[in-house]
Amino acid sequence: MTKIHKSKWAYVVNLILLVLVIIWSIPIIGLLISSLRPQEDVLSTGWWTLFKNKGVITLDNYKQVLGGSEYTFVDSTGATVRSSGDNLSRAFMNSFTVTIPSVIIPILIASAAAFGFAWMVFPGRKFFFTTVVALLVVPLQIALIPILRDYQSLGLTGSYLGIWMAHTGFGLPLGIYLLYNYISTIPRDIFESAFLDGARPMVVFSRLVLPLSVPAIASLAIFQFLWVWNDLLVALVFLGGTSDVAVLTQRLANMVGSRGQDWHLLTSGAFVAMIVPLVVFFALQRYFVQGLMAGSVKG
Amino acid sequence: MKKVFFVVLIAVLTLPAVFAAGQVESAAPEAKTVTVFGAFVDEEARRFEEAIKPFEERTGIKVIYEGSKDFETLISVRVEGGNPPDIAGLPQPGLMMNFASQDKLVPIWSSLEATIDKNYAPVWKDLGSYKGTPYGVFHRVNAKSFVWYPKKAWAKAGYKVPKTWDEMTALMDKMVANGHTPWAVGLEAGGATGWVGTDWIEDIMLRTVGPEVYDKWVANEIPFNAPEVKAAFDILGKIWLNPKYVYGGKNTILTTSFGDAPRPLFDDPPKAWMHRQGNFITGFFPDRIQANLEEEVGVFALPAINPEFGIPVLGGGDQFVVFNDRPEVREFMEFLATWESGELWAKAGGALFPYLNQDLNAYPNEIERSLAEALVNAKVFRFDASDLMPAQVGAGSFWTGIVDWVSGKPLNTVLNNIQKSWPK
Repeated sequence: MTKIHKSKWAYVVNLILLVLVIIWSIPIIGLLISSLRPQEDVLSTGWWTLFKNKGVITLDNYKQVLGGSEYTFVDSTGATVRSSGDNLSRAFMNSFTVTIPSVIIPILIASAAAFGFAWMVFPGRKFFFTTVVALLVVPLQIALIPILRDYQSLGLTGSYLGIWMAHTGFGLPLGIYLLYNYISTIPRDIFESAFLDGARPMVVFSRLVLPLSVPAIASLAIFQFLWVWNDLLVALVFLGGTSDVAVLTQRLANMVGSRGQDWHLLTSGAFVAMIVPLVVFFALQRYFVQGLMAGSVKG
Repeated sequence: MKKVFFVVLIAVLTLPAVFAAGQVESAAPEAKTVTVFGAFVDEEARRFEEAIKPFEERTGIKVIYEGSKDFETLISVRVEGGNPPDIAGLPQPGLMMNFASQDKLVPIWSSLEATIDKNYAPVWKDLGSYKGTPYGVFHRVNAKSFVWYPKKAWAKAGYKVPKTWDEMTALMDKMVANGHTPWAVGLEAGGATGWVGTDWIEDIMLRTVGPEVYDKWVANEIPFNAPEVKAAFDILGKIWLNPKYVYGGKNTILTTSFGDAPRPLFDDPPKAWMHRQGNFITGFFPDRIQANLEEEVGVFALPAINPEFGIPVLGGGDQFVVFNDRPEVREFMEFLATWESGELWAKAGGALFPYLNQDLNAYPNEIERSLAEALVNAKVFRFDASDLMPAQVGAGSFWTGIVDWVSGKPLNTVLNNIQKSWPK
């Protein structure tokens, strides 16, 4: 009796989930279809008409996004030239240059700090931790101008070091808070036995804490990666938008043109920009499900 | 396993650093450089870069242009943060006045002022001045008081370009009698929805009460709910709020994006027969139309209402201002004040220039040539009022007021609200 009852509920739950999934996917499917349609069609009819009218499918938008939009201009000899702008490879490289250190540095600092807050005794621990958590609610926008002033006097504006430090600073409160919650749940017994064996805190941190917190670090890495990869504002302020340093988001934002006349390119641009975060997500996802803690306390 | 991890970690950490270090070196200035920051991007940025190449070749000075869609926010942040570009192209005179009042700008020096006096109509110098001191040099500008129409369809239907407002009204009625819809209007522009309407009101204000009252209106010396403004809204209302005159009626006006708005003109047969917009709108026309612009599209200036004021032109433009005073920056500014800096861009199309001594033959088609001519010869030119008014109004309540009015809010309430929002 109860079994039937249960499976009935399972059906209902699954049905609700299915509806939710469909609702969530529709805009993405629409975006995907729009990205495959020629500009004329995108501007005149909705994407759902594709099925009805057997519309045209083209990779033109992707070609323009990846290979650079086509420009017509007149060069100094007076000849009219039609050529495509820079392709995205430079922007991809710039984005990686900004993102990878901006993910690794805060993770290293945050895990050490979280370990310290969770397991080491020092005066003012509570106070400092509260300060860090309080920083979570401070919007980063208010820090832009003061930091820019400091960078200007240190000569860090427009340098990669500057933007790594900025992203590190903006990412640390969440990182420390997230890792603290995880690291503080590691059973005390593990540390006690390690300390009894004469391990110093640094050894405990690198041999025990880091490997044990891989799931938490992986999730933090995903958060931080997505945030930095998608960031436009911080990069524009601290790095600038000239073509030698412009990151992917800046290139995509400019691709729509001064008056937004090429907005149809954003559809394919979104998918191009999505690829890297998706790869990162799926690469790190298995750490979420891996039960690293299982059996670790068994004496 | 752990060793591998550390090796990868170190590699990952150092690789970008090496890459970055290489970049800093390559960017080290051997030649003198001038940094320019502006609001135009993509193709327009490329055309600007091409247009200034003759200067770079002649002087050996390197000009690095950076364009951003978020220019208005970023320029303020960078100036506040002590990291301004050498030169910035400001789309709104209000921004220039802000920076000038904070003493952030280098005033125009006497030799450049002489060039400006020679090459521009006085109105451009006034627009670039704050409290009598000139700061800005105008380069590419736009003009907005134009009506676009599908040439071939007009010829077939036998419509003639109206010379006066009354002729235009008669033409509209004729179109309706023929079962045609005269206008295509679209207000939607994301966070800036409504600006299309403010342009219409400004054009009508210039045509009914003239430039002097217009200036008073911009300065709020006559209130927003004054009878003159109300009259302008009434004239616009006769067109916009009459569903026979506008394609799709109110709802289409409110929900169509300004860039998509002219599209019904190019359907066969046209779903709408006229569209009022600035010169840049050609970039939004369908590709097949853009390819044969001269054959497909006709354009005329929005006709005069009160013949006393002729056909005034409403427009806007980027003014370049100086933040860092260096000899090479000065040299580039002098260049920007000459027709030479605009010639190649004019040839590429999509840009109008205000220089008095410009060569109209440089423009690639008859349409742009006639627009440039109208711009240079206009007896009355006025900058877009909403760009001159305080941001709370010009980029706020005036826009939303237009939307409210079209959606059916009483005109008096709308105008009173806009007046109330004017900063004291």
